[in-house]
Parts: sequence; structure tokens; C-alpha cells
Amino acid sequence: MRLRAFRIENFRSIVDTGIQTISPDNITCLIGQNESGKTSILEALEVFSSGVISEDVLRSDLSLPRVTCSFEVPKNYLEDKLRSVNNDFDKLVKSLNQITLVRSWKADLKSQIDIGGELLEYIEGLNKKRKKELNDTKKKIEKFYSELKERRGKKKALSAELNEIQVKLDEHPARRSILKLFRRRKANVKDDDENTISELTESFEKIRSQLEVINSFLEEKGSLIKAIEDWLKTVNALDSINKRLDEISARLEERHQTMTLLTGPSIADLSRGEWEKVLNEYKSAINEKEKLEKDYELKILLCGFIFDDLSEEKARRKLQEIEKERSLEYQSKELGEILYADCPHFEIFEDFGSLLPNRIDMEDLISDNQSVEGYKAARNFLILADLDYTFFQQPSSRILKQKIENLNAKLTLDFQDFWQQYVGRHNKIRINFELDHYSTTHGEKAGKPYLEFWVKDEGERLYPKQRSRGVRWFLSFYLELMAASKKEKRQLILLVDEPGVSLHARAQEDVLKVFEDIKDDMQVIYTTHSPHLVDINKLHRILAVQRDDVANHRSTTVILDAARLGDASPDTLSPLQSIMGNPVGNQEFSADKYNIIVNNVGTFYMMNAIMKLTGYKGKIHFIPSTDASSIPLMCNILMGWGMKFAVLLFYNEKEMEIARQLEKMMFTDQPGKNENIIIMPEEFVNAEDLLSTLDFKNLVLKTRQGITISNSEHVNINDLPRNFLLSKFLGEVKNGNVTRDDLDEESKENLVLLVNILQRFK
Amino acid sequence: MNKEKKDFDSVLFAQAMDEHLSSLRYASMIQRSLMPDTSFLSGILKDHFIFYLPKDYVSGDFYYAYQNAGYTVIAAGDCTGHGVPGALLSILGISFLNEILQSRDIPRANRILNRMREKVMGALDQRGQDYEQKDSIDIALCVYESYRSVIQFAGANRPLIMVSDGEMKEVKPDKMPIGIAPFEEVSFTNHRIEVKEGDRFYMFSDGYPDQFSEETNKKFKIKNFRQLIDYVSGWSMDRQKAHIESIFYDWKGRTVQVDDVLVMGFEI
Repeated sequence: MRLRAFRIENFRSIVDTGIQTISPDNITCLIGQNESGKTSILEALEVFSSGVISEDVLRSDLSLPRVTCSFEVPKNYLEDKLRSVNNDFDKLVKSLNQITLVRSWKADLKSQIDIGGELLEYIEGLNKKRKKELNDTKKKIEKFYSELKERRGKKKALSAELNEIQVKLDEHPARRSILKLFRRRKANVKDDDENTISELTESFEKIRSQLEVINSFLEEKGSLIKAIEDWLKTVNALDSINKRLDEISARLEERHQTMTLLTGPSIADLSRGEWEKVLNEYKSAINEKEKLEKDYELKILLCGFIFDDLSEEKARRKLQEIEKERSLEYQSKELGEILYADCPHFEIFEDFGSLLPNRIDMEDLISDNQSVEGYKAARNFLILADLDYTFFQQPSSRILKQKIENLNAKLTLDFQDFWQQYVGRHNKIRINFELDHYSTTHGEKAGKPYLEFWVKDEGERLYPKQRSRGVRWFLSFYLELMAASKKEKRQLILLVDEPGVSLHARAQEDVLKVFEDIKDDMQVIYTTHSPHLVDINKLHRILAVQRDDVANHRSTTVILDAARLGDASPDTLSPLQSIMGNPVGNQEFSADKYNIIVNNVGTFYMMNAIMKLTGYKGKIHFIPSTDASSIPLMCNILMGWGMKFAVLLFYNEKEMEIARQLEKMMFTDQPGKNENIIIMPEEFVNAEDLLSTLDFKNLVLKTRQGITISNSEHVNINDLPRNFLLSKFLGEVKNGNVTRDDLDEESKENLVLLVNILQRFK
Repeated sequence: MNKEKKDFDSVLFAQAMDEHLSSLRYASMIQRSLMPDTSFLSGILKDHFIFYLPKDYVSGDFYYAYQNAGYTVIAAGDCTGHGVPGALLSILGISFLNEILQSRDIPRANRILNRMREKVMGALDQRGQDYEQKDSIDIALCVYESYRSVIQFAGANRPLIMVSDGEMKEVKPDKMPIGIAPFEEVSFTNHRIEVKEGDRFYMFSDGYPDQFSEETNKKFKIKNFRQLIDYVSGWSMDRQKAHIESIFYDWKGRTVQVDDVLVMGFEI
């Protein structure tokens, strides 16, 4: 699986990075100022794997972090991995080549992995549909229940009325007479009394008949009513569990506030045991809630089926069938956990400062004495060699030595396989270690075992410390990387914070080569300030990290991808500017001026000197390319950033070819006529030709040698340090040592010509 | 024996001299062929004369003419020294001028001289060091732009004398040669002179004014040369040449010619 995109929310200075696509060629470079949030991004990705966060990553509003990662999956992976659920799900799974996983944290700082992306949409869609059906059923049931209540009320009222009539009838004199008559056969009942009795009897019958209807309804709907009453119990239970959860959450939040803001209400004083109890209560409440929610849903369904005239038995059978079907379905958490198990693991490498020592005492290794020099590198070495301390307890010194020799050969082969192109002369570096014992001259240590390391190169046996820091750094990097991959059985995504920060520029470039070398096996995301660790031809690898308000270090972190680099601040882009050759610290791409791209730094100096000499006030801004061949790339960048730009080309073969390329590539609307390509007249082969030979000699070269060719040709043929000379010239112009009056009329005329050409950008 | 040896040596010497002289004569022919002939000059100028008198077979003085659609270039040069070294330098000068004028630069008299100086300094590897050769060329160069009725003039130690409506003016040159300057090379000055038909111009080497007189053993001097030009400028070019030539020979008499002589006059 390959990481393709990530999104980080609520993590330290990050509120929401939005979805950030990482480089498709597996190397992604985060550039940005200090405190821009680069390391936070690496940390957030790392906790996506570990799930472990501390309170200090929480933002002040205590919103909980969420890290989303999308991974590209191999063909058929999902089909093989997931069980068949139903046609829709299976079809969706077959169509996917990417999965999205979301790790989110809860108030107790515990996290869970859920599925995201299309699979989540499917699950949510299904849930939404079911929820709607449930709601419809719930409404029907509620309506029914309200009618039921009404009928029950009516029944109650009717029963009371019936009782009342019964009492009246029982107590009526006529009724009594009749009764007496029945008993005593005495007929003295009056007519009106008879009428009243008749009316009461009629009412009695009427009410009784109404009651019978209600009773019959209640009897008929008995199963439904029972089901509804059962559901209502669950509703009440859910209400009470939600209240309980609210209370516990408030306590947890109070604790977070105590921990993060150091404003301390009494909750912080809870003992560890009490606090554990609170957390357990929270967990059990969550579990109970989940169970009740499931119950709630099933009970509504049951009510719905009975409502739709299924017998209770049939309804329950149908429910069982649904339950069975649904038991096959994945919920986001389950799906997340299943797929997460196969995801690459983020491993952060912050520091390779622990360089392989010359020797380390076995005692220090066994006692885990991390303070001893080179401990980590030595420990990594042992992990890599698959050694634990029992290995050295081998009683036979001959066998031990043989084993060590075999291991040395294996390690060296592995190392050479990994670093064969980049370390040492002729790829012959060998790493060796040996177990030895201190001699009697070592006082207290006498007789104690130690491990000794050395690096062999073409027969030379050198201790690590005798090798360059670069080689030692590589060795440590290798050891740490390999040890990590050995410990971690899953595929790794390497997160490297400021790699090779102390290395020489060349060695830094080698680090980049190392990344290139491993990128097919291991994705790399690294942060850097160094231009040597950015490949200018692979801008798609760059994500610029900066604060939303660059002047405010408390503002939130934003990430700008290659297409939006133009919005990044000059400081953020400083590594890029350095690569592209912009030599002057305060010179950067300008959003409100015309950026005029010139072939290289020397020309950049010359142009700035000319602008100073002529006092040109136009809104133009020269940008040096590394050389003419990089001009199209610069154009692409500036075009992508939506900046105004033009290209100033001198009349030489290379730049004329560039002009043709640019017309084909970028300015296709008006071939040959585009004003954004300025081609200097043919006598100007390069910028220095803008000065007369005499001025070039006197003011730039400071020589009296006769120059019989153009200035630029003279520079090339004699291999003169052009950038240095023109930079010096710019310096002298800036200092006022060279002014316009020092130029001869030929130079002045050339400068006027250039200024006239540039007028169009004024 | 000695006498025989002497005779033999003198024969050998005479033979060597003869070979040498014939080489020089041939070199002289080559040099002359590098300079524009009268018919070419007559084609590009309304009228002209050239008084060219090398001290030896070959000369350090040279004259030059070039024309294309837009402009005409006339120059009179004087290389340091005379004889073979001067002649070689003059040939370099001519070829440099050809090279420069065949580039597509806008013709500016001073730029032509600036470029020529670079070439001469480059060819002689002059870098301002004490030990190096200080050879150079003095030159007066005019670029005539007929469509603008303008003559541009730039001079390296050689002036331009102009006579217009009977009035003579001298355009001063820059006091530096085509070659390493004593202190620092600066750009030559471009003089822009508006001209009209009938204006006459004179360029010359220092051979004429520097010539010593047989009678007085004094130099002819520039002051007298100016007066001479002023005196003859109204005449036809042929007559001017004849007069200037005759004055020179009269002045020199039987004394040695001290340097190559070049006087060039033309009318536009």
C-alpha cells in the first residue's frame, strides 16, 4: 500500500490542512520556516500509526485531533480482504483502488480508526437511508402511540362513566323496586322512574359497546403495543446513558483543561485509581450506549413490522433475518481496523545524532545505559545483526569469532546492497565489529568485554570516528532505518525531520540520493530548510508549510502544494529561491511586479547593476534561473502561481532554442509575437555585452589586455568567474564607485536600448 | 687572397642585398595593393589626392577607404617606426579595420577606433607591463554618412583639417594611440560634423611636418603645414597634391627623409 494523501485536523498549530496529496514518486518534501508546523505534520502522521497522543498536542479550544490518510491499494486487495456483503458493497469494493482511514481521538485521548472515503460514504449512505426508514417507522409508531394514549384515556374515561352509570342504576329507587319486586313482587314503580332507568341503561350499553371497541383494539394491537412499550424502555435507557456520558465527558474535559491550561479545579486532584475508575465508567457507558443504540434500532424495526400487520412471530423472524444480513455488513470502525492492519506504518526519524562509536562496553549495552556515547547506534547494530546479549555468552571463543566473522560478512553485504552507490570509494565499505576484552592496563575495566566497531575501506581499517562525519551519519541512518524495519514488520513510511542538517551540502545531496534509492521500497516524507535537499526539477514533491498569518507564530498552519507555492511567503520559499539561484536574500518572486527571468545569476547581477546605473523605476523584478535550460521550468512555476512574468533572452544558440521552446510550450496563442519573450539584438550574446569592451575591461575585468572578441566570448574562452566579476561590479555600482558617468557612450547607448525594451513592463 | 676574399664577400653581400631589396619591392607592392587604388577612391569621393611617400620600400603609413550602402570610411594611419616593422603593423591595422567594418555594428568613428585598439593591443599582447612593446598606430578616421550630410571623426593622435567656405578648422584628436595608452585606455571621442557639398578634408601623418629642411635643418612643423593646407585648399585636388609635393621636396632638399609621408585630401 502506498500513502497518497493526508489530512490533519486539530493537531498543535494545525486546524485543518485540507486533503494534501503527497508526491506520486514517493518522496515528499516539506519546506517552511521554523515553527511553521512542519514537524507537527510529521508527528501527526506518526500518531496516525501509534494512536498515542498527549494533551500537549491539543489546541487551546480542546477540539480533538483527527488524522486522515488515503492509501493506494493493490489490485484485488479489497476483494480478497473483505467478505462479500451484498451486491452494492461488493461492486463498490471491486471498483476501488484507494482507501481512506481516519484516526480520531475521543475525550479520554483514546483513538479509533474508522474507514473514510467512498466506503464510509457507502456506509453512511446506507445508514442514512436506514435512519430515514427508521424515522418514518418511528413517526408512524409515535402517531400510533399517541392514538393509543388517546384511546387509553378514552377507555379510562368511559370506564369511569360506565361505573358511574352502574352505581346510578344500582342505587335508583325504581331499580331497587324492581329488584324488590323481583324479590317481593311489589309493583309500585312510577313511569318517569322507568324512563330514567331506561336512559341510564341505554347509556350504559352505549359506553359498554364503546369500551368493547377500544378493548378489542387494544387486544388486537397487543403485540404492537408490547413492542412499542419495550422500545420506549430502550429510549429511556438511552436518555439516561447519554446524560451519564455528558457528565463524564464534562469531567474529562475539565481534566484536559487542568492538564493543558494549568487552571486547576479539583478534578486534577483525583487519585490515579479514581481517575481510572472514571475512564472505565466512560468506556462502559460508551459500550452500553452502542448496545442500546443497536437495540433501539431493532426495536423500532420490530414495531414497524408489526405495525405493517405482520404477526409478532413473523416480525421477529424477519428481524432475525435482517440482523443476520446486517451482521455481515461492515461498520466504519471494523472496516477501518481491518484495513489499517495492512497499512504502512509511519516511523518518525528525528535524529541520527547517535553515531556509531569506536567501541562500547557490553555492560553499558546490557544495562541499557543510554547516556553512553553511541548507545543507540550500537543497539541498532545489534538488532540489525539479530543479536541479543546471550549471543556473547558463547563459551567457545573460536565459535564466537567465527560467528562474528560470518555476521560481519552478511552485514557488509547488506549494507553495500543498500548504499552501494553512495558511500565510500568504489563501494567497498565494510562494517565490522568484534568482541574483545579490556586488557589489564584498563584498571577497573580489565577483563570486561566490549564491542569494537570499524569501517574497512580498500584494506584500510578505520574506526568510525576516523571516517568522515557524512559516512558516519549514513551508517547511523542505515542502522536506525534497518533496525526500525526489522522491529516493525509492516511496510514503513519514513518521516525524517531535517535530515543531514549538520552535513556538508554535497553530503546533503547524497541524503537526497539515498531517498531516491529507497523510494520504491519505502515512501519518504521529510522536512528541510536546505536547498540541497530539494530537487528543483521535481517541484511536485514540495509542500510548503507556513502559518496562516506569517507574522504570527500563534496562527494556524497551512500547507500549500506545488500548484499554490506562489501564495507562499518568501521565507517559506527560501530553499527554492536558493536553488533557482536567487542570490540576494531580500530578492524574491514578486506578486505585484513583472518578474523578468534571466539566464543566470551573473546576468541577474548585471541587470540589477544596470537598473541602478540607469535609475530605471519600472515595476520589474529580475529573477535568475540556474541556467538557461531552467528557464522553461521557472516559467512553468510562475505561470502556475499566476504571476506576471517575462523572459529576457540573449542572442546565443541556447537561449534562442529556449525561445522556440517557450513559444511552443507556453505562449502558443501568439507564436513569435509574444511580448513576454524579450530577445536581445544579436550583438548581445550575454548580459556583459551590454557594456562596451572598454568599460567591461576597465570596470569589470580591471585589466588592460586587448579583447578582440565580444565580452561574453572573452569570459567563456578564458573561463573567467563571471558571477563573481558581475557581482563585484554590482557591488561597486551600489557603493557609488561606478556611476553612469563612468560609462562610455557605447555602453550608455546599450543601456538606453535595454531600458527602452523594458519600458513595456513599466 | 684577402682581396679575393673581399671581392667574394662583396659579391655575396650584393647578391643578398639584391634579394633583400627585391623582397622589399615585392612587399611594397603587396602593401600598396592593400590600400585603395585611385579609381576606387574616385568612385566614392567627389575628388581627392594622396601624397604617399614611404621613406623605405614599405611604409608605416597607410590610407584606408571602405564603403557600403550607408556610409563611407576614410582613414589615414601612421604606425610607429617605419620600414618593415611599421609596414607589418600597417597591414594589421588595415585588416583590423576591414574586420571591424564588416561586423554589423552601427558605424561610429570612435567605436571603430576603440575596437581597433583592442585588436592591436590583443595582437601585440599589450597589458600595460613595462617590458612589453609599445608599438601603436596613430590614425585619423572619418565616417561619412552622405544621407545625413554628416562626417563623424575620431582621431588617435592625428587631427582632421576641414575647409568649408574657405574657412579652415582643425578637429583635435584624442591624445592616445591605437595601442596601449600611457596610463589608461579611455574611449575615443566621436566628433559629429555637419558637412555640405564642396567641403574639403585633410588627414596626414607626421612625416610631412616632421621633415627637416636641408637649408635650415629645422622641422617643417604643423603650424606651417596648416598654413600650407589653408593656402592650397581652394585649388583643385591635383594642383593641391602637386603643390604640397613640390613644397615637400623643396623643403627637404637633399637631406634624408625622416619618416614616411602621407597627406590625404578629399572633397565630398
